[in-house]
Amino acid sequence: MVSKAICFFGPIVIGFAVLAAGPLLIRDEYLLNLMVVSLYFGTQAMAFDFTAGFIGIINFGFAAFLGLGAYISALLAVKLGISPWLGIWCGATGAGLLGWLTGMLTLRLRGIFAAVMAWFVGLTLLALAAALVPLTRGYLGLNVPLFLDTSSRRPFFYILLSITAFTYIVLRGTTGSRIGLAFRAIGQNMEVARASGVDPRKYRVLNFALSCFFSGLLGGFYAHFIGILTPDIMDTKHTVEVLALAYVGGRGSLWGGLLAAFLIIPLFEYLKPLFEIRLVIYGLLLICFVIFCPGGLAALLRRRGVWRR
Amino acid sequence: MDLQALWGLLLTGLMRGSVYALMAVGLSLIFGVMNVPQFAHGEFYMLGAYVAYFTFHKFGLNPLLTIIVAALSGFLAGALMEKAVLFPLHRRQKEQWVMNTFLLTVGISFVMQNGAQALWGSNYLGITHYWQGSIQLTKDMAIPFDRAISFIIAIVAILAFWLFLGRTRMGRAIRAAAQDETGAMLVGIDLDRVRTLTFALGAMLAAIAGASLLSMNPAHPTMGREPLYKSWVVVIVGGLGNIGAAIPAGFLVGMLETLTSYFLGASWQNVVSLSIIIVILLFKPNGIFASEVKGIWER
Repeated sequence: MVSKAICFFGPIVIGFAVLAAGPLLIRDEYLLNLMVVSLYFGTQAMAFDFTAGFIGIINFGFAAFLGLGAYISALLAVKLGISPWLGIWCGATGAGLLGWLTGMLTLRLRGIFAAVMAWFVGLTLLALAAALVPLTRGYLGLNVPLFLDTSSRRPFFYILLSITAFTYIVLRGTTGSRIGLAFRAIGQNMEVARASGVDPRKYRVLNFALSCFFSGLLGGFYAHFIGILTPDIMDTKHTVEVLALAYVGGRGSLWGGLLAAFLIIPLFEYLKPLFEIRLVIYGLLLICFVIFCPGGLAALLRRRGVWRR
Repeated sequence: MDLQALWGLLLTGLMRGSVYALMAVGLSLIFGVMNVPQFAHGEFYMLGAYVAYFTFHKFGLNPLLTIIVAALSGFLAGALMEKAVLFPLHRRQKEQWVMNTFLLTVGISFVMQNGAQALWGSNYLGITHYWQGSIQLTKDMAIPFDRAISFIIAIVAILAFWLFLGRTRMGRAIRAAAQDETGAMLVGIDLDRVRTLTFALGAMLAAIAGASLLSMNPAHPTMGREPLYKSWVVVIVGGLGNIGAAIPAGFLVGMLETLTSYFLGASWQNVVSLSIIIVILLFKPNGIFASEVKGIWER
């Protein structure tokens, strides 16, 4: 029983331990920044995969929900002077509530409709953030106070790592429970799930709202990490980036996206002199994974027996 | 608001709507027949604009020929993409088809967009006009020839496409495949060919739109994003998979946008028109012109 538990959680605990120890050894701010960025995208991919990999719905407005969390937290700090430590939770709750509402209204229908509607909601949010110039300053950019007044990236990394750990524990806990079983049932075959007494709408809405909550939380982190916010954060292209990471990582694995982020983002940073060609490679990579290895990196590792789960 | 301004708005809305309809018909066709939520539609629009720019500006071809060349290259690129990317997936795996093909088209869009940027840079490549001059409608209202002709091209392309679907053998095969794949296969329709043709035709319609609007929208790597989501709006408003519905829905959305941008200004236009569309869809989730016939993805 104990050894089984070690097999089960061992790799993840080791993974987090390595991540936590990394910044203690790395002195280079550039590398630290790269680690923060990788972790940021990896956690996003995790929250994205929670919806896409389990209930089979692509939240195409993902970046906009993230941006909503970022703007709520930033505006609370700028206009009302509320501490970022509290603000990010308000942002997350706001994004989660909008996710819940969107889910309530769209998830009774088939998946593609929900995906497109989430996209339209996202586009509306983007247009709203750009149009509300007196409040958000639109494309001029909103200056946001940081979490800490420091030039080092290290503390930010640990803030983000705790967010990541929290996200993973909650999402993993949910998918491992009976609720997760219902998610998988709905994702695989909705009619059969319905016939066995699973209410698809209830579970899909719950899933969607949770995923949006965590995207909002990450948005809040981004706002108080970067210090400047423009509506560009809500652009669909960011959703596409996260989507690609989640799929290359492996759908339905949660940790796959994190792994993919730590492999791909540094690699692409290294390939920077290639400019657009590297983005072409990125697209080709996504195409190849979908056709030849639909399970992503997670499936590859599982097949090799590195990780049985 | 006087009568003349109203006429002007109506005309602008019609012209905008014709392009939306042209783009959306292709998108709707691809979804209806192949069950593929095409995300690279805007990139074929971009391709059409680039090809038109090079044939017209560099080689000085006749404008009409230019648009035909652009249409053909859109067709070829579409056929190539289908054979190279969607066909292999279809062979390997049919589970979770909608989601997988969506990802594939996202990949195609990424490759084409950044490929264009690598090849032609991020400059705006535009022309001042295809045809000089304008039509004087009243004393102080004139439409440039280019605008009028792009409207006519859009209408002609949609009509020709409609006749193709309704009157020719191949068009009927496409419609049969959209209604029932198994049934179509049983009567001896070569589904692989239909699928390639469908994807190529959809890409061609987008390329025609991009080429005919070149003098108004210069060629640029990311120019396809706006038309992409506009055509998705149109398709969803009209009803997913209902190919004909994309035409009235295109004009409807074009009109709605023209009115909101006239009364509220350009920056609020997107917010308001998208909100109206979301509200419409909440009451009519299957689209305004939803058909009773269920598409293949629902069965």
